[in-house]
Amino acid sequence: MMHLPGLPVLLPFFAAVFVLLPWFNTRLPQQRIVTQLFLLLLVALCSFVFIDTLQNGPRAYAMGDWQAPFGIFLIADSLSAFMLLLTAILALAAHLYACAGEDETGRFFHPLFLFQLMGLNGAFLTADAFNLFVFFEILLIASYSLLIHGGGRERTRAAQHYVLFNLIGSAFFLIALAVLYRAFGTLNIPDMAARAAQLPEESIPLAKAGGLLLMVVFGIKAALLPMHFWLPRTYGSTSIPVAALFAVMTKVGIYSLWRIHTVVYGENAGEVAGLGMDILSWLAGATLVAGMIGALASKTLRWLIANLIIISVGTLLVSVSLQTEAGVAAGLYYTLHSTFVSGAFFLVAGIILMQRGQAEDRFVRSRPLLYPRLTGVLFAIAAMAVIGLPPFSGFIGKLFVMQAAYDAGQAHWVWPLILVSGLVALIALSRAGTTLFWRTQGTVVPEAKERVSRLHFMGASMLVAMSVVLVIAAGPLTEWSMRAAQDLHAGISISALNRVVEGEVVE
Amino acid sequence: MSLIWVPVLPLLGVLVALILGRFPRSMLALGTAILPAVALGIVISLIPDVFAGNIPTFYAEWVPLLSLNVSFMLDGLGLMFTLLILGIGLLVVLYARYYLSPADNAGRFYASLLLFMTAMLGVVLSANLIQMWFFWELTSVSSFMLISYWSHRSDARKGARMAMTITGAGGLALLAGLLLIGQVVGSYDLRTVLDSGTLIAESSLYPVIVILVLLGAFTKSAQFPFHAWLPQAMAAPTPVSAYLHSATMVKAGIFLMARFYPVLSHTELWFAVVSLVGLTTLLYGAYTALFKHDLKGLLAYSTISHLGLITLLLGLDTELASLAAMFHVINHAVFKASLFMAAGIIDHEAGSRDMRKLNGLFRYMPYTATLAMVAAASMAGVPLLNGFLSKEMLFAESLHQDILGSLSWLIPLLVTVGGALAVAYSLRFIHDVFFNGEPIDLPKTPHEPPVFMRVPVEILVVLCLLVGVFPEFIVGDLLMAVGASLMPTGVPQFSISVWHGFNMPLLMSLLAVLGGIALYKQRKVMFTFQARFVEVDAKMAFEEGVQRVIARAVSLQEWIDNGSFQRYSFWMIVAAGFALGAPLINLAEARGSLPLTGIDPVGLGGALLLIVGSVATLLLSHHRLLALVTVSVVGLVVSMAFAWFSAPDLALTQLSVEVATIILFLLALYFLPQRIGLHHLSPGRIVRDLGIATVLGALVGTLTFAMLSRPVDSISDFFTANAKTGGGGTNVVNVILVDFRGFDTFGEITVLAIAAIGIYKLLAGIRLFAPSADMDGRPWSKDANPMMLMQISQSLLPLALLVSAYIFLRGHNLPGGGFIAGLITAIALIQQYIANGVEWMRDRGDLKFQWFIVCGLSIAFLSGAGSWAFDRPFLTSWFDYFYLPLVGKFELASAMAFDLGVYLTVIGATLSILANLGKLTTGHRPTRPDGGS
Amino acid sequence: MELIYSITVGVMVGCSVFLMLRGHTFSIVMGLTLMSYAVNLFLFASGGLATHEPAILADGSEYSDPLPQALVLTAIVIGFAMTAFALILAIRARADLGNDQVDGRASESDVLANKLEGEKLRQSPEKPSGGKYR
Repeated sequence: MMHLPGLPVLLPFFAAVFVLLPWFNTRLPQQRIVTQLFLLLLVALCSFVFIDTLQNGPRAYAMGDWQAPFGIFLIADSLSAFMLLLTAILALAAHLYACAGEDETGRFFHPLFLFQLMGLNGAFLTADAFNLFVFFEILLIASYSLLIHGGGRERTRAAQHYVLFNLIGSAFFLIALAVLYRAFGTLNIPDMAARAAQLPEESIPLAKAGGLLLMVVFGIKAALLPMHFWLPRTYGSTSIPVAALFAVMTKVGIYSLWRIHTVVYGENAGEVAGLGMDILSWLAGATLVAGMIGALASKTLRWLIANLIIISVGTLLVSVSLQTEAGVAAGLYYTLHSTFVSGAFFLVAGIILMQRGQAEDRFVRSRPLLYPRLTGVLFAIAAMAVIGLPPFSGFIGKLFVMQAAYDAGQAHWVWPLILVSGLVALIALSRAGTTLFWRTQGTVVPEAKERVSRLHFMGASMLVAMSVVLVIAAGPLTEWSMRAAQDLHAGISISALNRVVEGEVVE
Repeated sequence: MSLIWVPVLPLLGVLVALILGRFPRSMLALGTAILPAVALGIVISLIPDVFAGNIPTFYAEWVPLLSLNVSFMLDGLGLMFTLLILGIGLLVVLYARYYLSPADNAGRFYASLLLFMTAMLGVVLSANLIQMWFFWELTSVSSFMLISYWSHRSDARKGARMAMTITGAGGLALLAGLLLIGQVVGSYDLRTVLDSGTLIAESSLYPVIVILVLLGAFTKSAQFPFHAWLPQAMAAPTPVSAYLHSATMVKAGIFLMARFYPVLSHTELWFAVVSLVGLTTLLYGAYTALFKHDLKGLLAYSTISHLGLITLLLGLDTELASLAAMFHVINHAVFKASLFMAAGIIDHEAGSRDMRKLNGLFRYMPYTATLAMVAAASMAGVPLLNGFLSKEMLFAESLHQDILGSLSWLIPLLVTVGGALAVAYSLRFIHDVFFNGEPIDLPKTPHEPPVFMRVPVEILVVLCLLVGVFPEFIVGDLLMAVGASLMPTGVPQFSISVWHGFNMPLLMSLLAVLGGIALYKQRKVMFTFQARFVEVDAKMAFEEGVQRVIARAVSLQEWIDNGSFQRYSFWMIVAAGFALGAPLINLAEARGSLPLTGIDPVGLGGALLLIVGSVATLLLSHHRLLALVTVSVVGLVVSMAFAWFSAPDLALTQLSVEVATIILFLLALYFLPQRIGLHHLSPGRIVRDLGIATVLGALVGTLTFAMLSRPVDSISDFFTANAKTGGGGTNVVNVILVDFRGFDTFGEITVLAIAAIGIYKLLAGIRLFAPSADMDGRPWSKDANPMMLMQISQSLLPLALLVSAYIFLRGHNLPGGGFIAGLITAIALIQQYIANGVEWMRDRGDLKFQWFIVCGLSIAFLSGAGSWAFDRPFLTSWFDYFYLPLVGKFELASAMAFDLGVYLTVIGATLSILANLGKLTTGHRPTRPDGGS
Repeated sequence: MELIYSITVGVMVGCSVFLMLRGHTFSIVMGLTLMSYAVNLFLFASGGLATHEPAILADGSEYSDPLPQALVLTAIVIGFAMTAFALILAIRARADLGNDQVDGRASESDVLANKLEGEKLRQSPEKPSGGKYR
């Protein structure tokens, strides 16, 4: 029980090493089964953590049994639990889809997939700034390797941009960490939050420089303008299940902003309170606009989805820049929605392009789909959810953000942006849908039959269904995300962390 | 019987329709009809209750946090619309059974139809603003499905998209409006809102709210200038037109205005906007209808005109006007639905909707013709028919208006003109289609439709008559109830009867009829005049508009993102510059309070070396080999610097990594062009880059200085204090790595391992033709494995292994440790590869890098998880001192096991990275056809 | 000394930034390596500069701040892994795309270079080297 917060990181690690055993090299079916089992286990584990944190409040884990702020701590509070569960479910579906054949196009897909999860979960759990960097690197190097899975010119070019871009980002991350360490004298995030208020006068500029640079670093992950360029090509050219899994990558940036900038630079941080939030709000708006332009300009479904992700990122960053509990809560619910839906959308796009032969997912007249009904239903639901049309999760998410914006007195610029972005998505997706499904000629693509398998549909339907679940369970989910936001703002004290070392549960 | 069932039953009907889709048509239609029929029954059972002034409600919590709840109520207004939606809906279900061709997928049709019905019911029954919007948007979606029903037709797709886009946009405006109302009132509960009219009227947001809500209403009700989508929506099957575009969906906008009439109306703004828009729409629609040759086109524009009429009534500042509006909603729904159905019958049985071909059908289908004529007469506003009554009321109300000030006399005049136009196009409908000579080359010879296809029309036409003759008796109470929800303060006394005596309205009606006849007589003139206008296809115009927007977006996108990484990195670095610059600019003095240490020559020398090295690298960057050399110099100096600043571990690590890196670079350079021209460097670009480089360098430099000259109250004393006692090691850095922050190291080796795997993937199946000569044409040495190197390296190997073992063991207490040891071993082995070639190594048992990695990671993991046995967290270290004879006192620490894991992983990863790359260089090297140099 | 140290770091960063803005992966990686040196020095500096101090616990003497050193160590290792990946990605790009350019256009210089080395380059999707499994 006490090890609970550590397991979401260690389980994927163990699984990855296990599947990495040379014995598996020539046994793909076994890799699939084992990985699926581990993923199911992970979902179960994360749901358990989720329920546990909702009932007993946050749990902390002292790596190496060293007391805070000296040792590295993992903290599982309701916010991180939300992200863990989200990621686990997304991964399960994406992996299910991958097992239908995507994983044959290169080696070590399954271990890398699991390592990716390890990195993500670690980033969600760690309470140590430098350890956060380490997990960022883990999830990055894993994502590089997954990105090039399957090979091909486009992927190589995309990888070049993505990798180099993030390498520069990592360098900035280190600089920021160094400055922050010099300013705060600690790396433990709760400790930083505690010290932020009474920083010595001359350390404040350092704290500011570090914080702002960190905002840039997280902006890169989250695809905040002008660091968003990497996203469309990366998502648009990588293999479908990987793109689906990447749907959660941008959210890591948002999440880190919550952890650092909402907490450490939170309202009671004295001199450095609300650092850079005004700029962030501007850039967030700009990101939304850039996403809209990109969405209208997209020529393939995958690029369209990628640009819709940029729009959702913009919306999320807006919610972050509100600096209110409601803002975080809205952002959290919106994160759930947009991650599931974008993931689902990529899987659906994959199903579509497999049925369209040469035309793939380009918006051109082409052969009719083999399974228009099922594919169409999945597409329609995903599209409506993204646009924010009832009865799917999008409209609740947007509603939440808009209400939070109004309460924060920002409605005058947030509402128009969000509403117009919805309209843009509506135009783009209605055109896309009518073209992909109805502007057809000739007969179905013969090879579609063996390319599209039941697993593909299972994976996609699973995520699409989540959008419906988000609506049905909207009541409790919004309540919980509100609580998570309150926990986040309340923060957690060092003394509370240290009681863990004595083996108590944090209140 | 609970109210919730009214919307839910049709929703279940959707499933029924989908399930019965395969069954015979009649069964399908019947099955689909049952549930809505039950719902209608429920509503009827509730009628007395409503008339008695009670309001049945249903409430259930859904998303309390957003005050979005499942909340329904049935007041007079809702009742009227519910009856229309369910009643006409059922008739349409029956009608469609005969209309759809066997080829059509009737299951899908009925499903969408009932989904739409549910949405409409939701709108009119909602007692929660957001829930109302929820259903409002659902109507747009379901109507999209219905309009695009024949999806293979381009006009259906375009029409559907257009309708969806325009109404969708309106819906978004409406959402904003509703949210504002909710925020002003402090509740989304409709009844609370309706009770707080003054609150809204006095708020500063009132104008915004009105405009937003009206935008929603106008787009939905096809008011000018948002009317364009309605005629395009005629691409839908006729039952859909009869249902959506006459009776229900277009009325949703009217409903919205009526719904908020108590709280939003009674202000200058409202009356000005609503009445003028209504009047314009009324005239424009009526005029255009006159010139449509397509039956449905005529009906569509007449619908627009009648919607304008209703809107106008809602905009007139008199008590009875709004009531008249509601009355006309009923009447229009009834006669227009029947007309659409009739048009559908004609289309169905004659095979055409073109009035230039359809002539003299009376002879072929007298019965249908009669029905259609009665309905058309009602549309024209002929006495004894329901259309007459509400139009009469409009004339009456139009007489006492003053919104246009001294110009108010225009209103009755224009209204009369509108009436005349209505008469004209109704006349054309009747005369052109049923009389006026013989049909012209119709696809099939017209005949009467099947009996049951006619029944719905009959029912509706009978209603026209009944209402027309006994208005009070049939709709009196209903209108009273509706009035109650429109005018909470109390409904004024009103009497709707056929005969009010000779009065102004009657005269106006007379004028309208005469004028209409006159207009129709002069149609030739008018048509020729109209022909001089160029007909714009709204659909195409809309498409072009969207296309233009998209083209703009594309060019903009290309301007923003030109696919060049340089632009991306440029912006990122600029952003970083701002992040660092902003705080430093506000900083008066970079130097902090700490005293500075003195300059010593060694340090200075090192610094100079570094600077020179870096600058040299920059200058030589186009000559890659030289650049590599200078970089490695920098690296070496850095490691020395670490040693100088009393960080031996860093020095060792940096050194060993340096070696590995250089080997890597050399191998890479073998494949990459070793020299690149600088031609593509435009001077402007160079200046720009130098500028930003200088700026960022200056910023970081300043930051370093600021950092170094400021004190810090750090946690690190703890580590020095506890390294020996708690971690069992005197080398604090190593203890931190394997114990205090062992988790970092854990992650770090994971990164190494993943990198190795990733690189394996990168190199898998790569096809490269290794060059056999360098840039200047000097051939690479053919002698792959120089003798001397072989000898030395082989003798070196054991030594190197010994050293690494030593480094590893002392790690915990003295500079060293698993990582450095691992690198030394790896490099020693790599040396063997370099010296003896891959084959030689393979003969001596190729090392299984994967095993190394797996074992390393496993050991690290297990040594960490071992502490679980003692119920301690992951990576909790344990150590103790033992005494063995001969060896003496020595220490064992679990951290060392962990370090072993690190050691193995590093060997595995480094080797696999370098060796895999190395394999490409050696082995089968294809000889090139052309001699190269 | 601090001043000199800062200037050095600044210059290194400046040079690396210029290299990172070039259009070829190799130059960029070169810049990144330089950058990582600078960053390591920077990170190291966050612990303050201390010469002639024991890094190993002995009885009663001043110690340089060990924590940043540990961080730098981790950073070095991770940096190594990343550099390696980027470099080999460049090779892959050379194989797939014919050059290691990232500025979205093929510069004549490379065309020239390719001619000189008389290489045939073609793209090759990653094949499972063991062929299809099962």
